[in-house]
Amino acid sequence: MEKSAVGRAGEVAAVQHLVQQGWNIVERNWRCSLGEVDIIAQTPEPDPVLVFCEVKCRTGLGYGDPLEAITWRKLARLRQLALTWLGEQPQWVPRYRIDAIGVLLNRSGRPQVTHVEGVGE
Amino acid sequence: MSTGRAFSVALVGVEGAIVEVEAALGGGLPRMVIVGLADAALGEARERCRAAVHSQGLGWPTQLVTVNLSPATLPKAGSHYDLAIVTSVCAAADRFDSEVLDRMVLLGELGLDGRVRSVRGLLPALLAAVAAGFSTAVVPACQLGEARLVEGLTIWGVDDLLDLVAVLVGDPPAQVVPATDEPAGSAESGKDLIDVVGQLEAKWAVEVAAAGRHHIFLHGPPGVGKTLLAERLPGLLPDLDQSEALEVSAIHSLAGLPLHDGLVRRPPYADPHHSASLASIVGGGARMALPGSISRAHRGVLFLDEAPEFSPRVIEALRVPLESGRVVLGRAMVHAVYPASFQLVLAANPCPCGNAGTRGAECRCAPMAVRRYTERISGPILDRVDIHHHLAPMSRTYLKAAQSSGESTAAVAARVAEARARQQRRLAQHGWRTNGEVPGPALRRLLPLPRGVELLDEAVSRGRLSARGVDKVIRLSWTIADLAGADLPNRDHLHTALAMRRGEQLGEVSRARA
Repeated sequence: MEKSAVGRAGEVAAVQHLVQQGWNIVERNWRCSLGEVDIIAQTPEPDPVLVFCEVKCRTGLGYGDPLEAITWRKLARLRQLALTWLGEQPQWVPRYRIDAIGVLLNRSGRPQVTHVEGVGE
Repeated sequence: MSTGRAFSVALVGVEGAIVEVEAALGGGLPRMVIVGLADAALGEARERCRAAVHSQGLGWPTQLVTVNLSPATLPKAGSHYDLAIVTSVCAAADRFDSEVLDRMVLLGELGLDGRVRSVRGLLPALLAAVAAGFSTAVVPACQLGEARLVEGLTIWGVDDLLDLVAVLVGDPPAQVVPATDEPAGSAESGKDLIDVVGQLEAKWAVEVAAAGRHHIFLHGPPGVGKTLLAERLPGLLPDLDQSEALEVSAIHSLAGLPLHDGLVRRPPYADPHHSASLASIVGGGARMALPGSISRAHRGVLFLDEAPEFSPRVIEALRVPLESGRVVLGRAMVHAVYPASFQLVLAANPCPCGNAGTRGAECRCAPMAVRRYTERISGPILDRVDIHHHLAPMSRTYLKAAQSSGESTAAVAARVAEARARQQRRLAQHGWRTNGEVPGPALRRLLPLPRGVELLDEAVSRGRLSARGVDKVIRLSWTIADLAGADLPNRDHLHTALAMRRGEQLGEVSRARA
């Protein structure tokens, strides 16, 4: 599988996972000059929170867990991206947070999704 | 979020404090955080533990791992927490029944390949664990011999992480029992008193010093045998008793010296070079204060050869330990106390060229230079030294005559042992072992005064003896009497003691011995 294809497959798996949990997907692959946010979604009612998700996908553990590849540098960029996106919105967003989703694609069977909430602090 | 805990020991000086190592999993991206005032070596446990667990084929949790070392305000240093950290993380991941951890301390450093390496200060750490009521200890297998010196603990020696896991799941490996034979008597370095030619008076002075644990200052021109004599002093001392051996071994363990052969039974000997720094002598280090030479010489001999060449600051730093027998190293966060009850042996030349005051030799130093040289060892230090002895070079005829008349270390050590036994019988009820450690007031109140003590009044009234000097002379006279087999020092003994204290040539010595 090619590199970009792995990434796309991971995002698909992550979106599936979120939708299953009842999340509302707001935007996918939102880009600006700073970079890209993989998924922007909203947690289910009654207390919705806007969540910026970074998805990291790998096909094996040879280079460590997918989540380990999310560095503080990536998180710092994600924080900036989040603020940029929020700034472009006409309405006020009271609460938001940043999550990380690690996807491990096995050659057989379902992708393994690990969702860690609130990694942005 | 799941948690686990294990116990280890932090060392402050030779005192150990139990440290609870807690691990929590989850709540963030996978990485490891260690909190609880860890120093650099302990902070790096992060990398060591992870690599070790991976290389042994055990899984490391892919979650945020938070490790807390409690009490959080006590600074912790060193690498021996690795085993406890790995164990608490595994406990948090529910790898085994964590009940076993409640009465168990774990000490050991991990290699990247999962091997368990030796640690400093195992002996004092385990002693602290016993005192705190723990029943089991996991230690590096290579230090089983040292760990077994502590009574009252079930000890597991582990070679690698797989061994550790086996112990924790209740399927321990067969224990390797290292030979714990007592070391074969006094395995001395082969330095015998018989090698020193002549210098009968100096040998006598060293014998008295050994018998009563008195501090001694040997001075004289180069090549008369000051160093030879000083090096042979430890060989004259009797073996350490059980409690002394434990104290000395604990310090050896802290200093990272191996204790494969069981407890240290011979009095230690330290002879630092005169370029030694203050911290190397009294002990030091920024966060974890390590024992210095004076503590390594605890219950043994500290020999400062070429004493005036030492930095005056270093020499002066000996004042308080000489009196109190311990050293308190204060740091911002902790106060470490190390025992430092050593016997001080100083050796010095009389001047830079070494010949001042020697008959038949020419001193080339300016008078001021001689004076400055002798003043480098201050009055307060010299006042604490019991025996001052000047060694004169020998004439050729004397050399010939003396060649055959040397005594061996064994012969002198037997006399010293006998004198020590007399002291024990007299002093044990008060809790002292040797004349050298009896405090001044006790000397005058608890023990009978030597006969002819008015000899000292005269010396004091003439200003030739300080108040401390009086006590020193009385202690010396007791030792001389013990060596002579007398029950109470008499006027002769006192006279000899006074002369030895003042560094006079001892015509009386031969009389006292006869």
